[in-house]
Amino acid sequence: MGRKVAFIAALFGALALVGPAQARVEVQWWHAMSGVLGDRLNELVEKFNKSQDKYTVVAVAKGNYDEVTNGVIAAYRAKRPPEMVQIAERGYMTMLLSGAIVPVQDLVEQKGYKIDFSDFIKPVASFWSYKGRMSAMPFNSSTPIFWYNKDHFQKAGFDKPADTWQELEKQLYTIKSKGISECGTVLPGDFYWSLLENYSAINNQPYGTLANGFDGLGTEFVYNKTKVVSQVARLKKWLDDGVMQIAGQGFSPEQLFTSGRCSTFVNSTASHGNIERNATINWSATFLPHESDINPPLNSTIGGGAIWVMKGHTPERYEAVAAFLDFVAQPETQVWWHGATGYVPATNRAYAVARERGYYKDHPTREIAVLQLSRGTPNENSRGFRFGNFVQTMLAQRQEVEAVFAGQKQPQQAMDDGVKRGNEILRQFEKLNAGKTPETERP
Amino acid sequence: MTLRLSIPWREARAPVLQGRHGGGGSKAVPAAVAGGSRWSGRTRPREEAGLKRANFGDGPGLPTLLLLPQLLILLFFFFIPSLRALMQSVLLSDPFGTNVQFVWFDNFKTLLASSDYRQSITVTFWFTVAQNVLTLGSALVLAFATDRIVRGRSAYRTIILLPYAIAPAIAGILWAFLFNPAVGPLAQVLQGLGIAWDPNLNPADALILVTLAASWKHICYDYIFLVVGLLAVPVSLMEAAAVDGAGPIRRFVSIALPMLGPTIFFLTVMNFIYGFFETFAIIDAVTKGGPAGATNILVYKVFVDGFVNLDLGSSAAQSVLLMSFALICTLLQFRYFDRKVNYGV
Repeated sequence: MGRKVAFIAALFGALALVGPAQARVEVQWWHAMSGVLGDRLNELVEKFNKSQDKYTVVAVAKGNYDEVTNGVIAAYRAKRPPEMVQIAERGYMTMLLSGAIVPVQDLVEQKGYKIDFSDFIKPVASFWSYKGRMSAMPFNSSTPIFWYNKDHFQKAGFDKPADTWQELEKQLYTIKSKGISECGTVLPGDFYWSLLENYSAINNQPYGTLANGFDGLGTEFVYNKTKVVSQVARLKKWLDDGVMQIAGQGFSPEQLFTSGRCSTFVNSTASHGNIERNATINWSATFLPHESDINPPLNSTIGGGAIWVMKGHTPERYEAVAAFLDFVAQPETQVWWHGATGYVPATNRAYAVARERGYYKDHPTREIAVLQLSRGTPNENSRGFRFGNFVQTMLAQRQEVEAVFAGQKQPQQAMDDGVKRGNEILRQFEKLNAGKTPETERP
Repeated sequence: MTLRLSIPWREARAPVLQGRHGGGGSKAVPAAVAGGSRWSGRTRPREEAGLKRANFGDGPGLPTLLLLPQLLILLFFFFIPSLRALMQSVLLSDPFGTNVQFVWFDNFKTLLASSDYRQSITVTFWFTVAQNVLTLGSALVLAFATDRIVRGRSAYRTIILLPYAIAPAIAGILWAFLFNPAVGPLAQVLQGLGIAWDPNLNPADALILVTLAASWKHICYDYIFLVVGLLAVPVSLMEAAAVDGAGPIRRFVSIALPMLGPTIFFLTVMNFIYGFFETFAIIDAVTKGGPAGATNILVYKVFVDGFVNLDLGSSAAQSVLLMSFALICTLLQFRYFDRKVNYGV
């Protein structure tokens, strides 16, 4: 009943707004945020709409990242794309070379906004820019961090998880053998991102040739010749020894951690919201471990999404888009988004503001992602990944890792096959996009 | 006894056969009875008689008009998409369609050369065959049991039909949860029996699980056809057999089962089509094609390559191939089994 009243009130409220709002330019933003994150995103859009009276951004949830991508492709083919769309990091090359987008930096500069693009934290900026110019507006940037159950570690006689994989392994086996928890860790659903790709960046291992694809479409995967192979073997061993569990379909890995069944969990910093809400355990988080012979470890890379601007709209609408992107880049917005969701603040200034306000004294685990992303100087192994059809190559690789887990293949064989399949997919992308330069056309 | 077996193509033939049988328009001829001799198209009489003529007049106008809605549906939801798929299957294109290359049959060549695709074919084969056997087998047992149940027969039927009302995705999640090795109660039972059950890890377990889920969802469909088919078995025959001393199982196997031939044949075709095309949601909810591609059936692979990997050319080529497989499979069934089925009971 209460909800109904609220709904009717909201409806009248909306109707009341229609009158004076008629002169406002309306633009659409399709996104993939659901649950708590979706609510926060709507709040952000509302803040923008209230902050001025010329433009209205309409946020439309279109399902998960895949569904949003498919939606925007269908809309673009039907010549009715939204003005803005949120696309995940893996779709970068597809979007960049699509011929369907307007580069963000070009747009905001042309519309006279002064966003300091050099102030974006390095792994974020380098991931989303092409030849030093930002292609998309970094929006929800995350990175995997290491979550753990404090009580389990204390009971086993450890202060906190070890810094290296070697030491961590001993800890997890101790926890298991002492019967403190049923499993040391749970395999994350996106393990390829955290435990293979980010693992490679942190441990200074190349993933592909040509600087992980930054230097051209001719890139080839090489992760079958790096520590990734022994990493896969390690995970298989943990699985066989019962130190690691797979949650599997119909059940989320996060639940196995937040319910106290598994002692640790490698997952995105963006799950702060969920874990704070759902965890019944005494949890904390720390940096991802690194190999003992790699010191110091490099930065991790980002995941998450950015806002892309689509081609084919009127100048007035691009005015509205530029105003909104400028709003998103403001330190104030960034700090609020960071606190509300757990995603990292995208700019150094926003990070400084959060620090000055003492935000991290109350929320120490929120700083881990920023520190881990910005430590050291990114080199070509840690700057990020530029592979075409990156979703497809990742799925092929994941299938090969699953074959290892199932005992069908040895880690080396599986990674060789993954690289082989991945390279075929890369060649197809190269064939299709040969000679194509990214979008430089002005709106 | 005016029971008709709902076999679309038999029904479609029935009016023509009526004409040949002397065309008493008002005489309803049960499809199962009307069969027996195959229609050869050339000798079709030009003049339609009786009921048909009275209702439809002379010109093609009214029949065409009545067919139009169905034809439009077919046009928009079958012919145009099929044509688009055929065209797309010889193209290499980026998802936004800004860069399109004509590549002849490269997409097909790549597919047939990929171990991934061959694995998908094998998986689909075992999945559909196992699903077919399991579904028909269980439905037969349940249909047989229907006659033996004296009290609460309608409740029994209703319960068996319930799964059909459950959306495939929900059914999938249900099964995935029940058999989840970490939390599923049925998985606990299996593990208690000393079976190392883990569909998230073990490809064979995963395939068994989706086969079970897909069959469970489809048993009711087969069941309802079989129950109706059993009703059409003349009581006198059964009674005569009973007088001769045949037990219920003997009567079922020797009398009812052969008479169910056309129904079973129809259901086999339908089960294959179901397995090929309609099990998508179950796979998506239970395994997402994993682990290691163990449940990556063709239709699911079409979806993943098209809508997740955005490889439209390959996805279109796969759907063309899948459609051909389904066609070939159905034609073969007709060719080899239709003859053996006895329609003339």
